Amino acid sequence: MNTPASSRTLILQRIREASRNAAPSAYPDLLRAYTHAGLLPAEDRIRLMAERLREYDADVVECAPAHLPAAIAAKLSASGRRRFVAPPGLPADWLTEGFDWLTDHALSIADIESCEGVVTAASAGVADSGTIVLHHTASEGRRILSLLPDWHLCVLHASQVVETLPEYFSRCTQPPTLVTWISGPSATADIEMTRIKGVHGPRFLHIVLVRDDDSDSSPAKPEQSLKVGPNDSR
Amino acid sequence: MSATLPNAEPHAELDPRLAPPFPKAALPVLRNAQLRKNVAHATDVIQAKRAHLVEEKQDWQQLRAAAAAIRDHVLDHLGDYLEQFETRCTAAGGVVHWATDAAEARAIILRILREEQASEVIKIKTMTSAEIQLNPALEAAGIAASETDLAEIILQLGHEEPSHIVVPSLHLNRAQVREIFARRMDLPQLSDDPRALTAAARTWLRRKFLTVPTAISGANFLIAETGAVAVVESEGNGRMCLTLPRTLITLAGIEKVIPRFADLEVMLQVLARSATGERMNPYTSLWTGVTPGDGPQRFHVVLLDNGRSPILARPTERQTLRCIRCGACQNTCPVYRQTGGHAYGSVYGGPIGAILTPQLMHMEHAQSLPFASSLCGACYEVCPVRINIPEVLIELRAQVVDQQRRRQNRMFDPLYLGMRAASGILASARRFGAAQRLGRIALRPFTRSDGWIHSLPGLGARWTLTRDLRGMPNQSFREWWAQRQEKQP
Repeated sequence: MNTPASSRTLILQRIREASRNAAPSAYPDLLRAYTHAGLLPAEDRIRLMAERLREYDADVVECAPAHLPAAIAAKLSASGRRRFVAPPGLPADWLTEGFDWLTDHALSIADIESCEGVVTAASAGVADSGTIVLHHTASEGRRILSLLPDWHLCVLHASQVVETLPEYFSRCTQPPTLVTWISGPSATADIEMTRIKGVHGPRFLHIVLVRDDDSDSSPAKPEQSLKVGPNDSR
Repeated sequence: MSATLPNAEPHAELDPRLAPPFPKAALPVLRNAQLRKNVAHATDVIQAKRAHLVEEKQDWQQLRAAAAAIRDHVLDHLGDYLEQFETRCTAAGGVVHWATDAAEARAIILRILREEQASEVIKIKTMTSAEIQLNPALEAAGIAASETDLAEIILQLGHEEPSHIVVPSLHLNRAQVREIFARRMDLPQLSDDPRALTAAARTWLRRKFLTVPTAISGANFLIAETGAVAVVESEGNGRMCLTLPRTLITLAGIEKVIPRFADLEVMLQVLARSATGERMNPYTSLWTGVTPGDGPQRFHVVLLDNGRSPILARPTERQTLRCIRCGACQNTCPVYRQTGGHAYGSVYGGPIGAILTPQLMHMEHAQSLPFASSLCGACYEVCPVRINIPEVLIELRAQVVDQQRRRQNRMFDPLYLGMRAASGILASARRFGAAQRLGRIALRPFTRSDGWIHSLPGLGARWTLTRDLRGMPNQSFREWWAQRQEKQP
């Protein structure tokens, strides 16, 4: 520790002295009467996810699992961009032909900055707030990959979408070490509370929503747990 | 024009030890029509968005109750959770420092920066760094600090002070921002369209993000269970500072800890809705110590006490430390909405500042702030962690009055003398009756035929200058009752 032991001891001592008379509350007894599980049928949950994303000015397209590479290719073409960066674990058939792909094997900042867009997978989607969650696994890439390029295409599977934020947390059986919760493109409202899309993060956020769900099945299977990120072994 | 423009101005205006009392500081602001218009507009917009989202959230009150319970629980066990955080963060490769006060926190940060041989740092918006007046200290040490949040850039380039804890430049409008950017970024052709202004800031900072190897951040949450830190933001400047540099220093108040990762399911739901009126802010980042190959490889956390621990001992005031800095109380406060943040003489303005600032000052400064409120309770109603701000305000007012009572020169204080006189009169029915009779005679010359007093001389004019006073009735209730008893024996 770089701090003189005295400051640490002093602060902890002050805290313990000050809290001496506090009625001790037990963590498991904390009142949590809020909504945990969502109530929407599967189809409505996916519709809500898309609706909320669009409210943030994100672009959303849906596709069947078999058509995913074609859906990615269509989005890349429509973007008018050529040079894309890909996380090392991105499925090979997502790297559609006709574009310049840089796969991130310890790319330099300059290399990543030179790319016009990035394609990543995601770990989860939360419909209630239109949030996509990256745990930065091999198919989601280092944090910098989904940050520097101005255009981000994120592939989200319907089976990954939960309705409420607590449902996402209950899927995380082990807390992840790195997380980025993304709700729409980079934005600011610092000037007269006017929402401006695109400050430092990607200005353009595209979601390809893969309909791998059986549309009859109801709420997402809670037993499905999430990977915890690049340091699974920790 | 130099590429680095560190904020050289010391935050004297917002130093509670130097700032004038609230009523005095508020006067010039109340005459500044432009500022009041800007503040009213911004707070109206956020409030309307927040109200809409809170209404749609069926379990809002349950979320508030849970958020308050989690934060209270943390305060009950703060020592244990901080130690747990320290252990886990250290195991994950972070270095944890403890600072008893602002000076020690500044010294720790400067020492780390010297070890890093840093001449420049990029900063994510952190009110805690403003609290410890870090920027002037960096400047004095020859380290150029660049703010990266749009609002903070506006303030830094314009030599302005923060006036709100979430949108610190809320008191400035687009024309004022344009003027600052055009002048300081040397862009005479810049338009006042917020889109163009935002784009100018993006360009201004891009190279810094890619080259400056040291960053300073605050923290929204420290997670005891895992040693992780979470930062909530909108623009991506936070992600840049948390990802690109080699070294990251995070400054956090000791109260920022929460027990578990999963507690974010409550905190994130209430924070964004309360702060900016969004279902979720664009970016929330969480990291755990150092991750090989991803982000800063040297990571320091500075845990700051600076007047927080004594607050824990006080049963009424300890709820102040539940605060998650959403700013909802500022947006809704009828006093803040008139004056903006600067009048509070602290980086923490509005209702939360009125209770937090004097406490952080050990009640030795900023004693006028607990009185800067109408006690209407709007702040309590919107607070996502249910801090009963009016209750704390009243408690602090009592402490301030007790302080004044102990003062040596109280015998010359007109308020004290008036209160003593009132106390003597009100304690006895006989004296009260006599005072009523005397008052009736004394006020008769000033009472007009309509039964109202429109103007009084001397001290009384302070009242009648802005409002009328009902004349005393010819008969008091007691006199009428006594008369009635005589008639009906």
